[in-house]
Amino acid sequence: MKKVLAIAGLTWKSAFRYRLFWIMAALLLGAVVGLPLMLKDDGTAKGLVQILLTYTLGAVSTLLGIATLWLSCGTLAKEVEECQMQVVTVKPIARWQIWLGKWLGLLALDAALLALAGAAIFALLQWRSGRLPAAEQKILRDEIFIARAAVRYHPPDLSGEIEKRMRQRVKDPAAMDPATLAEIRQQITGDVRSSITEVTPGHRRRWGIDLHSLRERLGGQALELRVKFHTANPDPDIRYLTGWIVGPPNSPQQVGIEQRLPPDSFQEFQIPNVLDDKGILWVDFLNPNETSLSFPMEDGFELLYPESTFGVNFVRGLAIIFCWLALLASIGLAMASFLSFPVAAFASLGLLLMGLSSGTLSTVVEQGTIMGYDSAKGGYSHSPIDLVIVPAFGVALKIVKLVESFSPVDSLSTGKSVTWGELGLAVAQIVLLLGGVFCVFGIICFTRRELATAQGNV
Amino acid sequence: MSASAVIPADAAPAAANPASGQPVVAVRGLTKIFKDFWGRPRAKAVDNVDFEVRPGEVFGLLGPNGSGKSTTVKMLLGLLYPTRGHIEVFGHSPRHVATKAKIGYLPEESYLYRFLDSHETLDFFGNLFDLTSAQRRQRNEELLEMVGLNQVRTRVVGEFSKGMQRRIGLAQALINDPDLVILDEPTAGLDPIGCREVKDLILALARRRKTVILSSHLLSDVEDVCDRVVIYYGGRVHAMGSLKELLVQPDTVRITAPLLSRQTMEKVLAIIRQDVAAERIQIDNPTQNLESYFLEVVRQAKERLAETSGAISGSRVAAYLRGDAESAPETDKVLERLTLSAAPKAVESAPAPAAQGAPKVDQARLESLAKAAAPEPPSPSLSPPPPVDMDKANQKLSSLLGPPPDR
Repeated sequence: MKKVLAIAGLTWKSAFRYRLFWIMAALLLGAVVGLPLMLKDDGTAKGLVQILLTYTLGAVSTLLGIATLWLSCGTLAKEVEECQMQVVTVKPIARWQIWLGKWLGLLALDAALLALAGAAIFALLQWRSGRLPAAEQKILRDEIFIARAAVRYHPPDLSGEIEKRMRQRVKDPAAMDPATLAEIRQQITGDVRSSITEVTPGHRRRWGIDLHSLRERLGGQALELRVKFHTANPDPDIRYLTGWIVGPPNSPQQVGIEQRLPPDSFQEFQIPNVLDDKGILWVDFLNPNETSLSFPMEDGFELLYPESTFGVNFVRGLAIIFCWLALLASIGLAMASFLSFPVAAFASLGLLLMGLSSGTLSTVVEQGTIMGYDSAKGGYSHSPIDLVIVPAFGVALKIVKLVESFSPVDSLSTGKSVTWGELGLAVAQIVLLLGGVFCVFGIICFTRRELATAQGNV
Repeated sequence: MSASAVIPADAAPAAANPASGQPVVAVRGLTKIFKDFWGRPRAKAVDNVDFEVRPGEVFGLLGPNGSGKSTTVKMLLGLLYPTRGHIEVFGHSPRHVATKAKIGYLPEESYLYRFLDSHETLDFFGNLFDLTSAQRRQRNEELLEMVGLNQVRTRVVGEFSKGMQRRIGLAQALINDPDLVILDEPTAGLDPIGCREVKDLILALARRRKTVILSSHLLSDVEDVCDRVVIYYGGRVHAMGSLKELLVQPDTVRITAPLLSRQTMEKVLAIIRQDVAAERIQIDNPTQNLESYFLEVVRQAKERLAETSGAISGSRVAAYLRGDAESAPETDKVLERLTLSAAPKAVESAPAPAAQGAPKVDQARLESLAKAAAPEPPSPSLSPPPPVDMDKANQKLSSLLGPPPDR
């Protein structure tokens, strides 16, 4: 461990001696302090949080992410190219120890810079919030400066219903070409999902959420309902009347609530904590409008309850950002393990861009083709290359989702709890699984690499 | 009067008694072919090389630039992998991590971290050898003292001159008290004092039965310290053996004596001419080599100018490197013998022309040598040169080292 720490310490020392740490610290503090100065908030609690948390944390993550990728490529590739690595590897230290030492050094650097930026954001948030009007301060306290855990509605398994409808519609699947079959399946899936998510005019929908494990913890505390719906007319100025009945069905405990809510955005309101004997909270929605409202299956309906303090939540949110940085460090080091500095940096940035373009990946996978919609044909075009690209994109999307499924900035800015479980999952998925894959790949490449080739001598 | 055939390697006990047992390094059929991106052969840097290095030996890899010396060294260190052939270092693959604890390596350039100062550099490498804090502190002190950098320990390596970088590079190579020291062009960039110190160090290491592999194209370096050498050219070994085996000319003899009178000289020549044709006899004044002369000039200059902003001349070899096998007076004797032996060697090192047809004895030259008014023979390195010569030498030294600091 002494050897690993010596290498880590070297990375740390170089960041200070080359003044990189101070430059990064100045940039981060500049972003934290400068962004709120440049972007004036609207005087509301949510406006303040939008700028102080969402923008600044986003800027900090981006700056640190790029710096981490750049540094991780440089710290290894440059040392190989400038031959310092020759003097290190002839000492009794295994190459995996060198690799790990570099990684830990980068993580230490990231941790220090993230803590600095995080402390600045937290302090600024506390200071600026004190200058808001009293009503906005209350909103801030109740809705944002709090850590509310979310309980989501788990939709039923739709695969049986989809298969049933497929059998009804397609009598002889073998006689049909695969692309058409995939398109039909996609349509049916959409129909089945709509039947679950859509509430037509004058109809109602019921959700039952199992809270029995939280009954004691919640006591009689009120809960928050967080909903989002889509309509045919997405005008945000239109407020749709929504009726909610909370409580065990057909019991006197039921409470009715009316809310006028805009479409396509998350909306929260308080509901009573009235569970049935089994600890299930029943919520009925009535649609009195003349248009259908559709509640997305993934995040259309959530129940929020106080879980922890904002400070703890903030630290956990930063910890998830730190997990992303750890992954970027392992990507950069893995690339630098077998490539020269500029190529490694280019390849790492390419991977990062691919990760950020998950929307495109998702569209291709959903459509089953990269050719897009052909309006003349009235359907999706297909090409032989889809046979390779679509599965490859599918795998890439699954990998990207391991990282993207965490959104600490959104959670913090909406007062949602970043739970310890979520943090543990982030460590497992992002650092151990994905980071581990890059780590093993990088170490294998670095161990096999000849460090004194002619190309290495600049 | 005595015949002299002084070969410096004789001074080192290791050469006098080459160690037996397992070789420290064994190389068999070693071949390295550099390939391009597509795997096509681009250059054959080392071609079917065999050699062994025995414990306690100072082994030289000699050859012109690009002959494959450094490639061989890098394969010995596991920095390059052989295309064919087999290498064993202490009975293990060069990539065996634990074996590296016994090796010290000085690369041909300063490949150190430019942002670390001397002390931090040694401390970092000491950590890689798992040395305790106390060991690191002690060795740092001794090594910095030895390489003459203890006064600039807080300056970062990036600010060092090339010579100072070589010195700190040498120090890091010795931080672990290695059993095998691999030095790639160790005197490159060093001033003559530094060169001599490095050579002293190599001999001190050899006295402790450390094995040294020295890669160099500087013939004098190799000749001064090596027991055995291989000579590379074009990636292949063209000659291998001890310096004595390779350099001695058994059909030639050298006689050295104090200044003789003309009569005595003529008598000696007459006797020799009875057996040897006149054109095969060569007479001249022995000269000391430039290195010895330079060192003496600097020694005297140092007595007058105490301060320098750069590296100072290193002191004795670090105590832990000297070990118990060496005592100071013995070292001094070795160095003294080396210094004194340099003069006859310089003449001896060019015997080939004599064998091919040495110039005839020049009677006039003979007379001038025998005359009482003849110039004083150049003083050996331990006696001070005349004042006039000293001034000239100082001027040369000033132009080499720059002006002395203001006092």
